[in-house]
Parts: sequence; C-alpha cells; structure tokens
Amino acid sequence: MEALNAVLVGVPLTLLVTAAAFAMGAVLGVPLVVGLRSERALARIPCRFLVDLLRGVPAIVWLFVIYFGVSIGAYRFAAVPAAIIGLGAISAAYLAEIYRGGISSVHAGQWEAAQALGVDGRTVFSRIVGPQALRVSIPSMASYLISLLKDSSIASTIGVTEIVFYTTQDARSGGGGLTVYIIAAITYTVLSIPLGLASRALYDSLRKKVSR
Amino acid sequence: MTSSQAAQNMVSLRGVSKKFGEKTIFSDIDLDVKTGEVMAVIGPSGAGKSTLLRCINLLEQPTAGRITVGGHTIDAGKPGSRSEVQALRRSAGMVFQHFNLFPHMNVLQNISFAQVRVLGRSRTEADKRSAELLDRVGLADFANAYPSRCSGGQQQRIAIARALAVDPEVMLFDEPTSALDPEVGLEVLAVMQELASAGMTMIIVTHEMSFARDVSDTLVVMADGRIIEQGDARAVMANPTHERTRTFLRAVVDR
Amino acid sequence: MSFLTNWADWMPTLLKGLLLSIEITAASLAIGLPLGLLLAVATSSPVKAVRWLCIALVEVGRGAPALVVLQLFYFGLPSTGLTVSSFVSAFCALGLTTAAFTSEILRAGLQAVPAGETEACAALGVTRMDTLRFVVAPQGLRIALPALMGFAVLIFQATSLCFTIAVPELLSQAYSIGSSTFQYLSVLSLAGLLYAAITVPASWLVARADRRMSRHLAHAT
Repeated sequence: MEALNAVLVGVPLTLLVTAAAFAMGAVLGVPLVVGLRSERALARIPCRFLVDLLRGVPAIVWLFVIYFGVSIGAYRFAAVPAAIIGLGAISAAYLAEIYRGGISSVHAGQWEAAQALGVDGRTVFSRIVGPQALRVSIPSMASYLISLLKDSSIASTIGVTEIVFYTTQDARSGGGGLTVYIIAAITYTVLSIPLGLASRALYDSLRKKVSR
Repeated sequence: MTSSQAAQNMVSLRGVSKKFGEKTIFSDIDLDVKTGEVMAVIGPSGAGKSTLLRCINLLEQPTAGRITVGGHTIDAGKPGSRSEVQALRRSAGMVFQHFNLFPHMNVLQNISFAQVRVLGRSRTEADKRSAELLDRVGLADFANAYPSRCSGGQQQRIAIARALAVDPEVMLFDEPTSALDPEVGLEVLAVMQELASAGMTMIIVTHEMSFARDVSDTLVVMADGRIIEQGDARAVMANPTHERTRTFLRAVVDR
Repeated sequence: MSFLTNWADWMPTLLKGLLLSIEITAASLAIGLPLGLLLAVATSSPVKAVRWLCIALVEVGRGAPALVVLQLFYFGLPSTGLTVSSFVSAFCALGLTTAAFTSEILRAGLQAVPAGETEACAALGVTRMDTLRFVVAPQGLRIALPALMGFAVLIFQATSLCFTIAVPELLSQAYSIGSSTFQYLSVLSLAGLLYAAITVPASWLVARADRRMSRHLAHAT
C-alpha cells in the first residue's frame, strides 16, 4: 500500500492550501462585493474588471505569474504562499459573485423597512441584509469550497508537496502508475463528502433560525 | 351481466383499488361505462376522482383490480407488457386540467405528432386530419400558431383535438375547465357537448354541475374513496338518496 | 515600453498555442457532451444496476480534479501497457470530465421540462424513447444551454492544465518563452490576457443567454 501512503502524505498540505485560500477569499470577497454593488462607477468598474480577470484567467496561469513572475527586490514567493495567495485571490472573486447573488435575493422590503426606521446603510448591511444573504449563500459557498479542494491540486505545478505532487512522483518512479492515480481520485472524492454533509447541516440549522 | 351487456361496455372496472404507501385512496371500485355513454364524476376534493380516472388509462398503476378499455384488459396483479399498455392508452384519449400542450411545436404539429409516431400515418395524412380536427373545435386558423400565443380556452380545445387525433374509443377528461375562467370554460364545454352528441364515450371528472346535469347521461358521486351514488344524471341531482351527496350538491349548486 | 515589442514578437507563438487550446476544448466537448447526455438519461434508468453504475461514474468524474484525470491518462496508463500521446490524453481526460459535469447539467435541464407533457405523451400512447426524443430532449437541451456554455468556458480554462502533460498549448508556449528569456512576468501576463480575451466576452454572452432563458421560462408558466 505504498501507493496509498504516497497519496495520504500529501493530504495535510492539500487541506491547508484549500482552507487558507478559502479563508482569504471569504474575507476579501466582502470588500469586492461592496465595490461591485457600489453606485460610484469609480469603485464599481475596477472591481468588475478585477473579478472578471481573476475568474477569466486560468488558476494555473495566476499561480505561475505569482511564483515565477513576481520578484520584489530579491524576494520571490515560496511555493505554498504563492499557491495560497493565488487561489485566495481567485476565491475572493468567485465568492464576491456568490455574495452578490445572495444579497440580491434578499427581499427588497428588508432594505426599505430598515431604512424607513432610520438605520444607516452600513448597519443595514451588516446586521439585517448581510446575515440573510449569508444564509442563502451557504450552499453555493460549500459547493465552491469543494471545487477549490480540487483546484488545490494545481499547486502541485509550482512544487507544493500536496496530493498530486506525491502521486505523480510515485507514478513516475515505479510501476503501477494507474493505481496511484485512481487512489488519488478517490481520495479527493472522499475528502469532499464531509464538506457536503457539513454544508447541508449548517444550512438546515441556519434555516430553522429564520422563519421563512 | 349477460354477454351482450358486457359487449356494450366500453370501459369496465372490477375491484380496482389504489394505495399510496399506507394510505388508501379508494378500494374495490366497480364501474361500467357503456359505449356512447357520457359519465360525469363529481364529489369533494380528495375523494379520489382524478386518481380513479388516471387509473383507467394507467397513468396511475392500480394496486388491485382489473381495467378494461375498448377490448384491452390489464390486471393490476400482472402488469401488462409495454405494448399492451400502449394499446390500451391508444383506445383512451385524455384531456388534462393544465392542457399539457408541447410548447416547442406549433398547434398543427402538436396534433399531428402522435398520429405520426403512434399510428404511423404519413405527415401529410396526419396534417390533413389535424386541420379537420382544428376546424371541428373551432380553431381552423390556428394551425401555425404556437401554444404560448393561445388563450387557455383555445389551448384546451387544441388539447381535445390532439387527443381525438389518434381515434380513441373513449375520452377521459380530468377537470378540463378548472384552470379556466368561467366564460372561457364555456367554449370548451361547447366542444365537449358536440363530442357527446356525436356519440363519443366520455368520462368527465368535473366541478361544472350544470354540464354534469345537462350533458351527461350518468352521474357518479365519489366521496371518501367510494362511489356513494350512481345513476341517471338528472335523477341523482334532483333526488339524491345519500346524505353526503345532498350536502355536497347543496354546497356546490348554491354558488 | 520594450515589453510591447517583446509582446509583438511572442504573439505568433502564443497564438499558435491558443489555437491548440481551442481545438482541445472543441474535441473535449465533442466527446463529452454526447456521453454526458447518455449518462443523464441513464442515471434515471429504471434498471437499478445501470442507474447505480452511472451515478458512481458521474460522482468520480466530478470528484476527481481535472489535473488528476489528465495525468492518469498520460502517466498512469502506460503502466498497463497502453501508451497514449499527450494530445489524445488531453481530450480523452477532459472529455470524461465534461461528460461527468454536463450529465448533471443536462439532467437538470431534462427534469425542468414540465411533467405534464410527459403524461400527455403517455396518454397518447407515445413510447418513452419518442417522448424523450421529440418532446423532452429538445426543450431540456434548450434549457440547459446557458449552463453548458458556461461549462465550455471552464473547459477552455482547464486546457491550461495540459501544460503538465507536455501539450504545446498556450500556457506551455508562454512558459517555454519565459524559461528562455527569463521574462516570465511579461510573457505570462500576455498569456493571461489572451485567455481573458476569450473567457470574459464568452462569460458575458453566457450571462445574457442565461437572463434570456430565465425570462423565457418565467413566461411559459
């Protein structure tokens, strides 16, 4: 079961890159969506451009740009930070769009009621509309997290020692290359199962708190 | 029942029951519909009328009993082969509450489709027949229109033409006017009346009491999963024997 | 502004790679879409064995990263004695991924066709095959079209992963220019812009098609 070992050794970094990139994206997605929805073209247009660029250029190209292309003075990004920053930026773009969908699905009456009560814009967003938008977005966010888990495999191309890195190493060194790849494929599928279940549970528990 | 009486029956149900899991919708229903008879099935919601109708052309599988339509018989115990079921369905035409026309085909294609695919008629033959049927339901100019452009009443009349196109021996109507405004429903009822006068065997689940009284020969009252009353339409409505029928008729007719 | 002259020099090579990327996309879709439709229909099959097998195939096809499937074909298959060229590996692997994902998209599209129409067909005595062929599939495919177009854009992006199996597509060309000139940032930026030049307008078209489709669906009810 040397093949299985090879695959499992890569799991920690796979999970680390996925979690860190997702966290970065979830946080940075917020200012992005605020910019996307802004009424000021000066904020909206660059944000739109940025989101389209982040989503329109393949992830591997972004990782290459950051890893091979960026040198600030003598500093070059190491593989793991480059992967996290690259995937994190892309996640921010996708999550900003998911947030946008969630926000627009919140009934217009909520905004109007809050504003009529004299509540200021920022509070309306953070205390009334935001939480409802978040609840609606959770299934899409979970779905994105699962696809991000798979995209973390791209980090192997810049040398991050995650699942695919070790899988390829194992395949190229000995025989039995097919087996190890099948094990890797199944590992990714298996890793995404708890994510799917947790998202369903979280969504259901949040739904109970909201009357509709 | 003598063999000559049996020969006159277009539709026969014997011991038909339907259960969804633990819930019994109706059990042990016997029903005979003679050739050329117009039967209206009325009753409160949830009585199982639509389900019973849908068992006749096997859109619902009965849990027990025997269904005979136009010489084709299916026993609930031994589910018939695909072709037997199809043969039975060809004998029975169905008109749905929500029309169910095919939106991506124009009106003529809607009516010709089954003629070509089920009866094997040529396209030209089918289109000719479709045009005749459209004329019969009063929509001769609508051949090239698309269903979405037609009003509800027009769509339902097209649906009737579509069902007639495969030359069924009996027509089943599942609340044909329930989704229509009353005035619009009248144009559909007029078509159904013409069909009845022309001698078509018809079984109609309906809430239209005046139609039930004026056009149908027989009235069947279903409540709580049983047939509680059955007989000549005018007689039943004038003098219902069952208390439940009385209450139902009072509530409905007084509207 | 020397980078502009560089860009002008590199363009022909990069465009060659871009063309190959587009070709791989087209080949993958050509293989994957019919397979996806087959899987979509098979996953609702009344035969339990067929249904479970197809569901398993779809789950693994969607669960495995495209990179893994690509490398499975190119590095993994040789161990069984079957060696495939990098080009064949590319569109076989991406074709399978397409089949798995589009089967779900198509299944949703087919299911969105109102059930009443299937009932009307049954009542008319139309066979299940004819119902699918003439009534459900034409409408279902039209409903699924925006999502399928969106997926095509994603497959185009995924062709960049073929770099790892030695296919001379756009990213490979950019990388080899980078490794010989050390102008990585410059050439990779140009490659990125070329990808964006296709994906951004395409996504805009998809969004428009999507809006038109939801308006049409709302109309029909």
